[in-house]
Amino acid sequence: MKPDSPSIISQRTRRREFLKQVAAFVGSTALLAELPWWSSLRAAPVSDAPSNRVRIGLVGVGSRGNLHISHLLRTPGVEIAALCDDYEPHLNAGLARVKGAKGFSEFRKMLEMPNLDGVLIALPLNLHSQFTLDAMSAGKHVYCEKSLAYTIEQCQAVANAYRGSKKVFQVGHQRLYSPSYLHAYELVKKGAIGDIKQIRAYWHRNGNWRNPVPSPELEHRLNWRLYRAYSCGLMTELASHHMQVANWFLGEHPLSVVGYGSINYWKDGRELYDNVNVVYKYAGGVHVIFDSLISNRFYGMEVQMMGPKGTIESETGRMFSETPPPAPGIVQLINGIERGVFETIPIGGPSWVPDLKKNTKAAYFPQEPNHDDGTGLALAAFANAIRLNEPIPGMMEQACHSGVAVLMGQMAMEQGREVTWPEDFKI
Amino acid sequence: MGTRFSVVLPGMDSFVGEALAEFADSHLRSQERLMSRFDSFSPISELNQRAGEEPITVPPALWKILALCHSHWQRTRGAFDITQWPLNQLWRENVQRSEVPSDESIQQTRRITGMEQLQFDDTARTLKFATEGMMLDLGGFGKGYALEPLARHFREQGVARAFFSFGESSVTVIGSHPHGSAWPVGIANMFHPETAVHTFQLRDASLSTSGTAPFNQTGGPQNFGHIISPRDGRPIEGYRTMSVAAPSAVDAEVLSTALLVTPEAERTEILAGYPGASAIEIVYHPYNQFTPSIQWRYET
Repeated sequence: MKPDSPSIISQRTRRREFLKQVAAFVGSTALLAELPWWSSLRAAPVSDAPSNRVRIGLVGVGSRGNLHISHLLRTPGVEIAALCDDYEPHLNAGLARVKGAKGFSEFRKMLEMPNLDGVLIALPLNLHSQFTLDAMSAGKHVYCEKSLAYTIEQCQAVANAYRGSKKVFQVGHQRLYSPSYLHAYELVKKGAIGDIKQIRAYWHRNGNWRNPVPSPELEHRLNWRLYRAYSCGLMTELASHHMQVANWFLGEHPLSVVGYGSINYWKDGRELYDNVNVVYKYAGGVHVIFDSLISNRFYGMEVQMMGPKGTIESETGRMFSETPPPAPGIVQLINGIERGVFETIPIGGPSWVPDLKKNTKAAYFPQEPNHDDGTGLALAAFANAIRLNEPIPGMMEQACHSGVAVLMGQMAMEQGREVTWPEDFKI
Repeated sequence: MGTRFSVVLPGMDSFVGEALAEFADSHLRSQERLMSRFDSFSPISELNQRAGEEPITVPPALWKILALCHSHWQRTRGAFDITQWPLNQLWRENVQRSEVPSDESIQQTRRITGMEQLQFDDTARTLKFATEGMMLDLGGFGKGYALEPLARHFREQGVARAFFSFGESSVTVIGSHPHGSAWPVGIANMFHPETAVHTFQLRDASLSTSGTAPFNQTGGPQNFGHIISPRDGRPIEGYRTMSVAAPSAVDAEVLSTALLVTPEAERTEILAGYPGASAIEIVYHPYNQFTPSIQWRYET
């Protein structure tokens, strides 16, 4: 291997410091019992000694794959040993970034590479399950991008193949590792907003969602998110994150879903909706509403968790109380009325002014310094779990619950009916 | 309006109460948009930005407000004046630098204040400032003006008892306290807010308090009173409050500021033009542990 550039070394130093803090936090938090996927992060970051290195092969060197490369290059004790892509320009660009990595155009060849510990799959949705199954049968640890698979049957096949395995499986739901979401979860568990009664989740963008295509025959290959043979569009590529969060916070999977989807703006030959609205029903009548529109970005992206005592906006990290503290005199007045007391309310005085004029209503969560959305920690957790040789508890359940939920949503819209959770699904 | 609003509706069904609270919320927000100097797109901001140069058409809702302010300016003999903001700003900036404005700067600033300089054209419904640099500020008016139609709406909806508080400085009540024949509203001792210096018995009436305080609401020091007298362009002295109860929330709010800057001898004459109003001035004595005493009172 060639030596790394100074900037990567300094990024790695910062990431190591951060991982040290995370390890100390994970080791001390009582929440670990409920968030078992944080467990492997309790291990302090390792040195760069070759014996510590976890060797990872990345398949799919597109935009998501390149983001993973950026994170992996900074993660202590990780070697990107191989890159695989059957689209040569992407593969070559990746190899130029990762010194010493071996390049493959065929996944099976990469799997035969000696001493490869884990495989990271960042491919179009329709390929997820086959590549995951192949990697598992080759005895590799697997990190697969969300959403889990292209059909419910494929989700079941992956769950079946993994059942009882001692290998690590992880899915690319990085919000599981986002400090903002962790804090939101802590608040919900403490009862800060009461039991969640409804979650409103949305992801709005304004753009055609296309990659530039050098020649027309590459359209489907590079813009697979727009075509039904490869993807379920906004549901699998965007909603899967929100549904994972909803399932996690509610502690269960949805029972049923209804919805509408349309192509009403980007009429450019795409097959997948540019406008979706789905409503999921959970036990006890809790609803999760997801909507996504890619012709208006005003509301952006958010997950709003609503309980009788308050609202949490977990993406921006804010909490709004339903009952902001009232004026002291008003409290006294109400208490007096309720106790049947007729007494003077000392209230009149020069006008009350708030401490801060701007948005005094929201309490902001603390944010981590380097603003990782959780992807970096998710990859560090994967590498640690491989090194510790311990599977990540609960991960397959997270992957299946959101993976199946978004496919149900797509079916509901396409078939114009209510789609219920597959009763015989087994994790 | 940069403060909090509370409403207490005793014995009210919570479903109806919520609907009324939502009405209040949207009414107050629309009033704020109309009158806010801080919202650069509000009609008031447009006047402040452009009326120094040319006559600006005033939207009907704001015209009504400005006409009312003009009438109060006359009835209070100039003590209530919505063009005073540049003087407030002058004092604020100087005090922040631990200085006192020079006589010259006070005189200069007074040239861009005074409602006699507002040139209303009743036919064209336009307003022009006689001098550039003038500014309208409805801070001492807006709360009362927003409260009045609110109380009217609640009454129309059959509300027999209600207590509205706008930042605690403006209170309006409907009917009486459920356990008495009026709402007993105390003027809190600003140094011991749990005790009342004086109690007004309010029934279908409003109470407004203006004053100066040695500290702000969060307990930090506040070096000068924010009430400037239009007569000499200087802040009123000492720590004092003026509380006015009146049948109208606007009258109460206008008078609480206006009486504070008016010499005692002239106050009664102003009040004669406001039937049903009563007033109490409280002074806190700095050399006697800020003990409050009633300095002046007026009852009809």
